[in-house]
Amino acid sequence: MSLLIAAFGFGLVSMSVIALAAVGFTMQFGITNMINLAYGQVMIASAFVAYYLNQARVSVWIAMLGGAAFGAVFSFVINRFVYAPFQGKGTALLGMVIVSLAVSLMISNAMLPIVGYFSVAYRERFSHLLRFGDIALSVNQIVIIGLAVAVMLAVHALLRYTRLGKAMRATAANPMLARNCGIPTNRVIDAVWLITGSLCGLAGVVAALDSDSFTIASGATFLITALAAAVLGGAGQPYGAMIGAVIIGLVTELSAAVWSPDYKQVVAFAILVLVMVLRPQGLLAKRGALAAAG
Amino acid sequence: MVVERLRRFLVVPSAALVLVLTACGSGGSSTGGGLGSGDLLVGVLAPFSGADANLGPAYYAACLAAAPEINNNGGVGGRHVTCQKFDTRGEPADAAPAANQMVASNSNLMAVVGCTSDEASAVAPIVDKSHIPMFCMTGQSEFNKTKLPYFHRLVPADIFDAYGMVGWVMYGPNHSAWNKVALVFGDDIGSQSFVQPATNALQHFGKTVKNFAIHLGASSFRTEVQSMLAFKPDVIFTEALGSAGTYLGEVKELNGGQSIPFIGTSATIDPAWFKDVTGTIGVGDVVQYYRGVDLGYTFSGKAYEEFKANLQAAASTFADAPKYGQRGSTLHLYDGIIMTGLAMVATNSKDATVYNPKIKEIANGTSGATVVHTYKEGLDALKAGKSIRYVGAAGENNFDQYNNSQSGYILVKYDAQGGEVQVAALTPEQTKKLSDAGGL
Repeated sequence: MSLLIAAFGFGLVSMSVIALAAVGFTMQFGITNMINLAYGQVMIASAFVAYYLNQARVSVWIAMLGGAAFGAVFSFVINRFVYAPFQGKGTALLGMVIVSLAVSLMISNAMLPIVGYFSVAYRERFSHLLRFGDIALSVNQIVIIGLAVAVMLAVHALLRYTRLGKAMRATAANPMLARNCGIPTNRVIDAVWLITGSLCGLAGVVAALDSDSFTIASGATFLITALAAAVLGGAGQPYGAMIGAVIIGLVTELSAAVWSPDYKQVVAFAILVLVMVLRPQGLLAKRGALAAAG
Repeated sequence: MVVERLRRFLVVPSAALVLVLTACGSGGSSTGGGLGSGDLLVGVLAPFSGADANLGPAYYAACLAAAPEINNNGGVGGRHVTCQKFDTRGEPADAAPAANQMVASNSNLMAVVGCTSDEASAVAPIVDKSHIPMFCMTGQSEFNKTKLPYFHRLVPADIFDAYGMVGWVMYGPNHSAWNKVALVFGDDIGSQSFVQPATNALQHFGKTVKNFAIHLGASSFRTEVQSMLAFKPDVIFTEALGSAGTYLGEVKELNGGQSIPFIGTSATIDPAWFKDVTGTIGVGDVVQYYRGVDLGYTFSGKAYEEFKANLQAAASTFADAPKYGQRGSTLHLYDGIIMTGLAMVATNSKDATVYNPKIKEIANGTSGATVVHTYKEGLDALKAGKSIRYVGAAGENNFDQYNNSQSGYILVKYDAQGGEVQVAALTPEQTKKLSDAGGL
């Protein structure tokens, strides 16, 4: 029983990390209609930017902002110079997926000579361990949970209560109608890439900090869990991604405690498959923040 | 007509000259059809990207050190050796096309090195079918009695690594009694091959043992660590390539800042593994808590010094090359390439069906063979008409009928700089006891 409770605590951390990554990913898809498979590589590139800042004696929490800024700019640049030209020529969704896969490989191979293949770790990887009964969480992990909650609330506020958020929802629902109504959709999309890119960068640093050590190859792992949470919640739905993150984060840890760590991934993806069979559009499709503004 | 006569006039002596030059160049016990011309290629078929991207560079370094050793001594019958990377990404699905592309587009392949456990099953049959000698860095048991004649393994099967680790528990000096052992390896087939022999041997000696498989590459292992800590192990057996830093970091964190002694396979004697683990638990803890097993390298002697000098020089091509000066796989593959070059010269053949069997002969030696330690010594002995045994940078090789080479184990630790420190050596009697206890 104590292991189960401990696993619940670890699940809270995992779901926080996944939520940060999944919300940005799903917003990119929901608003720009782009399944960006380079998302994991941008995460890890941002994590390395923060690592180099951290090595220069910058606190990892400050370096995290550097990682987020890098993620924002890098994502913006990728869209402007790669994705947008392809989309402008009418490339189909599947074609764009392949383009993003190519971008992912290019980033990975371009980074390899710079960052090398060795594992690295942030200087502040260890923090004081606090125990709440059977739940043991480090100060870093508690900060990560708090950060995730704050970011989720900020995303909610952005989408619900700001002009930009309403413009995003309108662009997601019907870009042409939004344009005809006077919404500068291109600028909205630029803003989306900057915002989701910063979420991507932030998630990369948080995931790398949570992992203790990371390598250039860690991006694929980060992407898979973000993708799973996004699909589970309903592709393009930020609230769905949050719920997906909660389910995947908790289920993976609890199943490892109840059965065996061997089944950790199996159980998580079995739930994903089950949801896809029973509700192919995902848990929150047509009910999320990016559904037609009304 | 005048032109025709002139042609005959030139052709006859030219042909004679070619015959004379070929005869002069062949030397040694020539049985083949000549060494040909143009550069020779060693294919480094290994992961250079993906989760095991740290493996390929160690093998590439071996080739970069071996090439000048051969080239600076006249090459292989005048042919220079070059090295080329073929990235398998550590995935069989990517490795098979890479291997096919390598053999299809390079008719000058003299040998292939690398082929780790990630992809050996997929690529070894392809390379073998193309009649290219290969030196693979896999411990998979499926190659213990392989029928692939071009396959060579210069490292023992994984089960022997497992016995070596049990050897640390039973015979290693300066540690308290280790009665409870946690096995922490990846949940893939290759990694789990350590588990059964280690479990058998430990249980035979009355130890309590439990397997805690982990999914390599996961971003965290907290629940797995918590479960393992509940077992209260005295020592952990592990390899966990690519995930050891994260796992052991979480062990220390969840164990109240205290690491637990851990014993690594020979693959953990590796700069990438050292950096991964020291990055999370610190150099002090690695020096204090890490134990490892390795093959009995001396890191000294003429062959090793020659290897080291070539490896240092390779830094101009590959800056990280000198880091692999004490990595077993780098030493072994270097030796494999040198032996292949010598086999080609000895048979005076570029045809692998001719020189492949000679590799084993040069490695094991025959009665009365002259022991050589460098490529030049080998060439000189061959020119003098002697048969040779090459004892290289990694020491002696003893290929069995399945082209598996076995050698003894040493018990090691790390120093603070990541250098290997030998603590003890397992005697042949101890190794036999362990092997018998494992029963595989």
